[in-house]
Amino acid sequence: MRRFTLIAIPYLWLFALFVVPFLIVVRISFSYYELSIPPYGPQLDLSTGWDGVKAFFAELNWDNYAFLTGDDLYWKAYLSSLKIALIATFLTLLVGFPIAYAMAKAAEEWRPMLMMLIILPFWTSFLIRVYAWIGILGTEGYLNQLMLGIGLIDAPLTILNTNVAVYIGIVYTYLPFMVLPIYAALEKMDDSLLEAAEDLGCTRTQAFWLVTAPLAKSGIIAGCFLVFIPSLGEFVIPSLLGGSDTLMIGKVLWEEFFSNRDWPVASTVAVILLLILIIPIILFQRNEQKQRETDG
Amino acid sequence: MAQSPQDVFAPWDDATEKPLIRFRNVTKNFGDFTAIDDLTLDIYAKEFFALLGPSGCGKTTLMRMLAGFEKPTTGTIELDGKDIANVPPNQRAVNMMFQSYALFPHLSVYENIAFGLKRSDMDKADIPARVDEMLRLTRLQKFAKRKPHQISGGQRQRVALARSLAKAPKLLLLDEPLGALDKKLRHETQFELMDIQEKTGTTFVIVTHDQEEAMTVASRVAVMDAGVIVQVATPDRIYETPNSVYVADFIGEVNLIEGHAAVDNGVATISWAEGQPPITAKTDLTADTQCTYAVRPEKITITQHEPQDRPNKIKGAVLDIAYLGNISTYHVELPDGKVIKAQTANDRRIARRSFTWEDTVWLSWTDTAGVVLTA
Amino acid sequence: MKKIALLLATTTFASAAFAEEVRVYNWSDYIDEDLLTKFEEETGIDLIYDVFDSNEVLETKMLAGSSGYDVVVPTGDFLQRQISAGAFQPLDMDQLPNAGNLWDIIEARTSQYDPENAYSINYMWGTTGLGVNVAKVAEALGEDAPINSLDLIFNPENMEKLSACGVYFLDAPSEVIPAALNYLGEDPNSEDPDAIAKAEEVLMGVRPYIQKFHSSEYINALANGEVCVAFGWSGDILQARDRAAEADNGVEIAYNAPTEGALMWFDQMAIPVDAPNTEAAHTFLNFILDAQNMAAASNYVYYANGNLASQEFLIEDVIGDTAIYPDAATLENLYTKAPYDSRVQRTITRLWTKIKSGT
Repeated sequence: MRRFTLIAIPYLWLFALFVVPFLIVVRISFSYYELSIPPYGPQLDLSTGWDGVKAFFAELNWDNYAFLTGDDLYWKAYLSSLKIALIATFLTLLVGFPIAYAMAKAAEEWRPMLMMLIILPFWTSFLIRVYAWIGILGTEGYLNQLMLGIGLIDAPLTILNTNVAVYIGIVYTYLPFMVLPIYAALEKMDDSLLEAAEDLGCTRTQAFWLVTAPLAKSGIIAGCFLVFIPSLGEFVIPSLLGGSDTLMIGKVLWEEFFSNRDWPVASTVAVILLLILIIPIILFQRNEQKQRETDG
Repeated sequence: MAQSPQDVFAPWDDATEKPLIRFRNVTKNFGDFTAIDDLTLDIYAKEFFALLGPSGCGKTTLMRMLAGFEKPTTGTIELDGKDIANVPPNQRAVNMMFQSYALFPHLSVYENIAFGLKRSDMDKADIPARVDEMLRLTRLQKFAKRKPHQISGGQRQRVALARSLAKAPKLLLLDEPLGALDKKLRHETQFELMDIQEKTGTTFVIVTHDQEEAMTVASRVAVMDAGVIVQVATPDRIYETPNSVYVADFIGEVNLIEGHAAVDNGVATISWAEGQPPITAKTDLTADTQCTYAVRPEKITITQHEPQDRPNKIKGAVLDIAYLGNISTYHVELPDGKVIKAQTANDRRIARRSFTWEDTVWLSWTDTAGVVLTA
Repeated sequence: MKKIALLLATTTFASAAFAEEVRVYNWSDYIDEDLLTKFEEETGIDLIYDVFDSNEVLETKMLAGSSGYDVVVPTGDFLQRQISAGAFQPLDMDQLPNAGNLWDIIEARTSQYDPENAYSINYMWGTTGLGVNVAKVAEALGEDAPINSLDLIFNPENMEKLSACGVYFLDAPSEVIPAALNYLGEDPNSEDPDAIAKAEEVLMGVRPYIQKFHSSEYINALANGEVCVAFGWSGDILQARDRAAEADNGVEIAYNAPTEGALMWFDQMAIPVDAPNTEAAHTFLNFILDAQNMAAASNYVYYANGNLASQEFLIEDVIGDTAIYPDAATLENLYTKAPYDSRVQRTITRLWTKIKSGT
């Protein structure tokens, strides 16, 4: 009985904090817009008993899904988000891997401090840190002033309100999520493996690709997922740092909800976003499962 | 060593033989620390050469210089007559078996062994045959598809050996190859190593801190201390005629007796304690000198009665008996409190053993049993 | 502003158990903060002050219900929609003795959104127009740049030259689309699909040169020289002008209502139907209706108000500036905007997404 209770806790948690809210979102996605409080219908009217329930379900429909597929804005937004999230994940990997590598190779007594430095930014509000980038990236910002000052450029670059700023923001914000799993994977690696690879005829570069990279694979995959998933639905970074050209599904979702006050469409966008996210997660887990089975 | 080289493998005694490896005045510094101090050493092809010494003596540094992971600060290292100081590890015809084995955890046994071959200029089609040969040599055929974490420690050791041998290197370096194995497996593996060395004809250089292992496997042993080689010789010479107290003490058990030697015509008469007769020993020394006389416990005979016709004899009392199964070591206390160890083979059952605690006994040995050391 | 709201929130929470409180949700940068402390001192009611920067966000909260706010400030056309959704409660005029201060001319105009002004009082009103960084626009377009004409922002030739120094637009379709219609000589309130399509064409033509659609960032961006043109609200641009002057950073900002005609809008204070502190909400409204308080607010934010009695307390910079209190001729030229029909609303919002994202 106690064991059952123990197992039940995470499921209850999942049920209360994921399944129930998600079902509410699904229900709204099948509703229609109405100028009322709340701004969608139908509302479940239990006073008329069973008929009320039947009438309620009869009014739910797939219109919003049809609307979404009928308007290329949403597909473009999903694709553009996928593109931005993929590029950002790749860039984060590019920046994060050397950091994780350097940390794993650093002297033992330095590692806790390096780890601290990686985690430290989390102690400040995410919003404030993103706002700080506005001050850095603006045409009159520190970065442009610095580059103008040292004569690197003649005229200020427009970085703020472009996709470049969005990439910078995502890489900056999610870097620790990339660094930590890769670090964990690399830290376990025995240095003599690289010497063995060299001894067996590899150049340093080959040794990296044949030994270091495969051993860091699990960390790289975990890091990429930790960065990719939140950046796909990211709203704060594109809306603060991105410009009018930055099309991301998180922003579209926000606009459907707040600007258009169309909760049903916003919910539909959210449901589809979740479905898009679930597919790679399932694929990833299947792959892991298979890996485990062959390793037996 | 009067035998001709055809009978016994001893290229180091043949002046016409060219060494495979030559260390010439090699010094290696790490900052202020001198790991290797002006070392000169020749190692010949097909040798099974052991570097023996306590940790920190420089033996691993010496090996890493051979592999190419370290460069000498001064001096030259030649392989086959060529200076290899600037040849990177991946271009040396030298392979190394790591103490940790350093097997690639993401690759199967087969892929581990094939790793070096794929990096070589070997024809792709010939690789499977070579890997199979290595698997057979190390009796690993059944485990080819397993990953390193799915096999035992002894099997892993063999994979590491197979991998380092696969490219048929001129020189194989083994860094404490048996350190991680339990004692019984270690003994078996020592003979397996010798067998493989003989079959493949590869020159082996082994680093170990285990003197028994070095004695068992090596054609020659170099005993190292603080960055210098104290003695290089065949195992029997190292044991029987150590050139210094350090070597005598490092290899096996020994009784060390300090005294003053009066040398006359190849015979040293060593006075070592008040009221005790001097020790006589054959020696190469030519002048009187302070010395240490070293004699192995098994060379000392223990008897109940005073023996006749023995040049060296002392009386004492049995202090302690260490029964080791095949042999027993007696700790005999002399009147002045000094303890001498003597060994006898247990060719009889315990019940019929001659001596017990506090018995008065005589220790005796010949004038060739020990060596007179001045270093 | 947010910091102050937070500060107020924390100080008030400490004594929340005893004191009455009122929660106000107003536009950002839209009040003299001294008034907030003054209100607390005079009435002993704890004031929790939060800000927003778009009518859409406010409406989302109103239509979701249980916003927890006692006083909110929607703009006229949004107020009208929300009244019909049943989001507000009628005001109790007995609790608003200062209502007599209201300006009949403005009341007449706001009654088209809130018949008989039963649900709301006017807080501020203003126009939507052009904020320019005088020097930078002159540099980009020459001394005779059309800084008082919609041509400045709707003519792609001008916009292309301006894009280097930065252009911000309000993120408010119900203001930008009527302006584009007006530029084309159409009725700004037109719901005719053909007219709206033409407005779309105009906006799509200049879209590539617009750095950002945002309804509050332009105040700072103009003031520190980050952008050179903003299509925004009169008082906000005048605030940017004053911030730049205060900072003495060499940036000179000017506001002009377009000569083609400008949108005149009214921000109305109303009490949500489910407000937890109705009585305190009325106290707050009455406080705001006080002539001197209202004047203090206007003197601070550079917007005209609907309070006739306050005018004698207004500083010359405000009452004498035709950009704030337009002269009769300009007033003639101003138009108002009625809310879109809910069917048209979806077309408009979709169009707006398309304009903003280029998709």
